[in-house]
Amino acid sequence: MSDVPSSDVPARFLRLPSIAERKLGADYTAPVRLDPRVLEQMQQTIRELTTKYSESLKSQVGSLFSFVEQAGDGDPEARRQLYAAAHEIRGLAGTFGYPSIGRFAHSLCGYMERYKDIRATVMRFHIEAMYDALKPGGADENLVLETLASLERLTAVAHAGERSAG
Amino acid sequence: MSGDSLFAALRVLIVDDSAEMRNLLVALLDSMGFSGTLCAASGEEGLRMFCERQPDLIITDGSMRPMDGYEMTRRVRGGECLTEGEEVCDRDVPVLMISGHVGAEAVKLARDNGVTDYIVKPVTAETLYERVLAAVSKPIHIVETKTYRGPSPTRRLIPRISDGPLSE
Repeated sequence: MSDVPSSDVPARFLRLPSIAERKLGADYTAPVRLDPRVLEQMQQTIRELTTKYSESLKSQVGSLFSFVEQAGDGDPEARRQLYAAAHEIRGLAGTFGYPSIGRFAHSLCGYMERYKDIRATVMRFHIEAMYDALKPGGADENLVLETLASLERLTAVAHAGERSAG
Repeated sequence: MSGDSLFAALRVLIVDDSAEMRNLLVALLDSMGFSGTLCAASGEEGLRMFCERQPDLIITDGSMRPMDGYEMTRRVRGGECLTEGEEVCDRDVPVLMISGHVGAEAVKLARDNGVTDYIVKPVTAETLYERVLAAVSKPIHIVETKTYRGPSPTRRLIPRISDGPLSE
């Protein structure tokens, strides 16, 4: 990690021209608001990529099941692969209109970060929640919140009396 | 000067170990008017591409192996690309970190290693556009001591959350 300057370390403060000024000259002025045409183009790009992502998401969620038992049995490679796949879903699902699946994946990643000994049951319930959220109506906000709370309770019961790693 | 003609003049380096995330970011940057966006799959590769291609902006993931985005940023700020004291690469280049980690510890680590701005996944079009525009159009404020050079490590780095619900 970098050494962070403390108040007793002499520091120099520099104000450098922006990247835009350096490229386009000092008379460059930043736009005061986002260009709606650019924003629409970006949103169109996301819409175009969504169909392909939806297919990929289904197979990604399905693939999570294949690592659960081994990860729960303490296999470090299965654990690494499960975490990597869940982390990928956490990062992308929300962008493509699957925020609830992203939240369940976030909860699963958080669980795996918190506990050294992870339980297959807890992970399986997380993945089943993602699977259900892929179905029509499965992403209802109240249902998602209720499910997240249930997953928290399940985790607490499964690890009662243990201290989390973090 | 509109945003897209500004963006056409700039080169971005994306560093992410997820091929899907790289593809998404390249497609979104293309939509914004960038072209010739560079991609790397790890911090190590990113550092090498930074030295070789001298991008105007780096967008990086946090967790990667073998070298993560935090270490890569620290090395960029540390001027690892300087050759015999000649400053070829811009060690003050804006670095946007896009990460799935929303916790204070991850954000502090990013700040202490010299990250300019921190975006929490999932990213939306609006957040990406807004933060990229800010990164390239605002003056760059640098603190320099004997052991550190980069954005002020004592500033409050606020993670940009696109859709709210992710929280610890």
